[in-house]
Amino acid sequence: MSEVTVQGRQLVLLAAGFIVWSVAFVALYAMLSVGCAYGWDRIDLAGGLTLQRVQLIVIFLVHLGAGLWLARALRPASTSRGDDHPAQFLRHAAYGTAVAAVAATAFTFAGIFALTSCY
Amino acid sequence: MSQEPERASSPIELHKALSSAWDTPGGWGRLSAINHSILGKRFMIAAFVFFAIGGLLAMLIRVQIATSNTAFVGPEVYGQIFTMHGTVMMFLFAIPMFEGFAIYLLPKLLGARDMAFPRLTAYGFWCYVFGGSILIGAMLAGVAPNGGWFMYTPLSSSTYSPGINADVWLLGITFVEISAMAAAVEIIVSVLKMRAPGMSLNRMPIMAWYLLITAFMMLFGFPPLILGSILLELERAFDLPFFDPTRGGDSLLWQHLFWLFGHPEVYIIFLPAAGAISMMIPTFSRHELVGYRSIVVAVIAMAFLSFGLWVHHMFTVGIPHLAIAFFSAASGLVAIPTAVQIFAWIATMAQGRPRLDVPMLYLLGFFVVFVLGGLTGVMLAMVPFNWQAHDTHFVVAHLHYVLVGGFVFPMMAAAHYWLPHFTGRVSDHRLSVPAFWLIFSGFHLTFFLMHLTGLLGMPRRVATYPAEAGWDWLNLLSSVGSFVMTIGFALFVLDLIVQVRFGKAFRRNPWGARTLEWAMPTPPASYAFASLPTIEDRADRLDPDALAPSLARGEGYLGFMRNGWQETLGVDMTTGRPEQVIVLPKPTFLPLWSGLATGGFVLGLLFKTYWLALIMLAVTVVILISWTRTTGAREDTGPLAIGGGESAPPHWEADQAPSWWAMVFTLAANATLFASLIFGSLFLWLVAPGWPPAIAAGPGLALAVPCAVALLVAGLGGRRAASVLVAGSSPAAWLAACAAGQTTATILLVVMAAQVVEPTGHAHHATVFVILAYAALHTAVGTIFAVYGLWRLKAGYLSARRSLDLRIGKLWHDYTAIVGIIALVGTSLMAILAGVPEIQP
Repeated sequence: MSEVTVQGRQLVLLAAGFIVWSVAFVALYAMLSVGCAYGWDRIDLAGGLTLQRVQLIVIFLVHLGAGLWLARALRPASTSRGDDHPAQFLRHAAYGTAVAAVAATAFTFAGIFALTSCY
Repeated sequence: MSQEPERASSPIELHKALSSAWDTPGGWGRLSAINHSILGKRFMIAAFVFFAIGGLLAMLIRVQIATSNTAFVGPEVYGQIFTMHGTVMMFLFAIPMFEGFAIYLLPKLLGARDMAFPRLTAYGFWCYVFGGSILIGAMLAGVAPNGGWFMYTPLSSSTYSPGINADVWLLGITFVEISAMAAAVEIIVSVLKMRAPGMSLNRMPIMAWYLLITAFMMLFGFPPLILGSILLELERAFDLPFFDPTRGGDSLLWQHLFWLFGHPEVYIIFLPAAGAISMMIPTFSRHELVGYRSIVVAVIAMAFLSFGLWVHHMFTVGIPHLAIAFFSAASGLVAIPTAVQIFAWIATMAQGRPRLDVPMLYLLGFFVVFVLGGLTGVMLAMVPFNWQAHDTHFVVAHLHYVLVGGFVFPMMAAAHYWLPHFTGRVSDHRLSVPAFWLIFSGFHLTFFLMHLTGLLGMPRRVATYPAEAGWDWLNLLSSVGSFVMTIGFALFVLDLIVQVRFGKAFRRNPWGARTLEWAMPTPPASYAFASLPTIEDRADRLDPDALAPSLARGEGYLGFMRNGWQETLGVDMTTGRPEQVIVLPKPTFLPLWSGLATGGFVLGLLFKTYWLALIMLAVTVVILISWTRTTGAREDTGPLAIGGGESAPPHWEADQAPSWWAMVFTLAANATLFASLIFGSLFLWLVAPGWPPAIAAGPGLALAVPCAVALLVAGLGGRRAASVLVAGSSPAAWLAACAAGQTTATILLVVMAAQVVEPTGHAHHATVFVILAYAALHTAVGTIFAVYGLWRLKAGYLSARRSLDLRIGKLWHDYTAIVGIIALVGTSLMAILAGVPEIQP
């Protein structure tokens, strides 16, 4: 693997958690609009759950899972701060942003479980 | 061409030698300046002039609404005044002020001699000044934009704004944005590649992190606005109905595109100021910044979250509640990373031994004002309250608290803190303290009361109001406060003039700072550092007083001259290991000519003399290409000595030169614009009224398939040309194939775009037309890249070692092939979506 790829990857990992959050945001907002346009909020699947809510919950859980997996994967091996080693510093920072992004994902999109979706 | 360093016998000799290479000529030659210190100061001075203009406009606003039923200016002029106030303050003051600040300071903080692309800096400056002048000229001529600084459609569409006013905004601001995009790319590349040896990412001064993240935000935040501006100008000039709901458009598309830029913009303004705060507080607290890594994480979080807030400007437009909840939650959430920074600053002061000086006074003002603004921001993030306060003066109060608190106060602190660096003089600050208190008290009197007028129901942007409303006394006090604040600003300017003119000279580092910019004589020499330092600790723990004499003696890297070149070092992105010698260009008038030609192009569009616009566009392209005559080399150089027994190749022989990275980031911004265009098309299909169109439009297979083949040939040609050159063979045949492929694709795309039935009839046709035109523009530029590669080959600039031109071209050809095929597939799918009744929403 070229050095450029490694450098680029280390920098991208800093933002990886929030990239997942951003993708979740775009996916949920887009599919919310699609569902409303096609009337999925009026298609009852079971027990009062509409197709609209189910698809939004699935999208949410997929991204929350991806965020959790990422945070776990980025967890630094040692608990030492290691701020004087660039790779360790970046790893710790990437882990921090990934954890923050998981929290942001859970908080930002929590409304899908309860709020009316199309009005 | 010599590879050997020419060592100087003394620091003075070294200074003279470096100055002879780096200095800008006097007289008219000043217009050829490309040096970061000069241009940074010019940016800041120009931005301050615009700030003064914006301030005068604000005073006119306050006079007009000081009392009820005022006839000071009529509603038409008032519309121009408040529109220009917002436009000037946002686009012509805040962003350029930050750019100037970054351009002046960044190389000095990083231990480099200049920014990555000095000529681009100069070109950006001229675009900014000329674009701003167009706006101010229009205002003086009485035809300034008058539809609000956010230019909402349909008010800004040609139906309701038939004159030139809105075009001035769209074209002038887009012209200015060239400067912002150039600055964004340049800041990113400079931070990532142009640091002192040993300055790994974790050792950068915190300001560099702030500027890096801000520049990335600009890279992804500005393209949606640029796209929106282009689409609206196309609608106004050629009647393509992107925002017209009677023809399948939607005015909400403009709001989405505008605020997708507009809210990150607020953070783009705040974060550099926060970076400056993070530099000043440790100095005055005599303690290093607490929570360095936490701040980096918080700023990254803030950057992303700021892109998820834009709809809080649109809570009342009828978007479903659940969608509003996403944006409301994100709007509230962004307070947390902001608070992390605030508490880190407080912790730094708590851990240290703070001393009060004028910059700290302004920072304390910042804390008060910005935190209040943040709190009202959280209030406005809550939808029920927002619905009550929307479009009232409460919002005006909030935005001024965060913008003046978050940018103007820190910048005034920064002005006092870094002015000794610009001038080599310190002040006794006799005028500074009264100036601060006038500004601080005047500000609160002006804007705090606006919360109350807003809560009492006073709408924004009204030229007058009836006496029965009961807002008179609050507005009058607000207006009095604004004049008190103006007197404070006048005193602030006077204070700076007094310091520049009569301040006491000092030896070095008047504040006892521990960052690199103070490890040089002040005012700084044109080359910044006589030699480049080795950084072995975090860059806010240095000892500038000890470091400076050693660097001046040439004991660091590149402490010599070679071939009269302007050299600085390029390093590994992560570790800061030296990897290339970057040879920077000499002062030149080319950026000025390029700016003038670009200005001619913009004016041609503005006055609808399209033949002139096309000529000026061609002239601009030719001048921009002529920049390359002095870049690169006609023979292989090999590794060059850089000092300390180490060597590195010149940048044109290095694997990843700054210009290669610049193309990567430029294409990232370009991809953002293209993605916004695709999403805009889908948005219209999904939610706009008046769909489906009577006839679906899309490229036919007969032309789309050969076009895709041509795009692939061009992409393959570009790739193979670079790889065969590196392998030691001639790339001529592959370059020719690439040029042929790009030219063929251009012709086919133009034909397909021309075949779109009535682009003015429906937004679907208009978007298909624009997507194909976008692809055609890129293939046309691809042709230029391929032909340019052939020319460079013929002129002897290319070899197995010197393959940079073709590797940059390869990036363009790859991108063009990908977006060209996406454009073909996307428009074909759009035709299906628009044409099949079963899949109509």
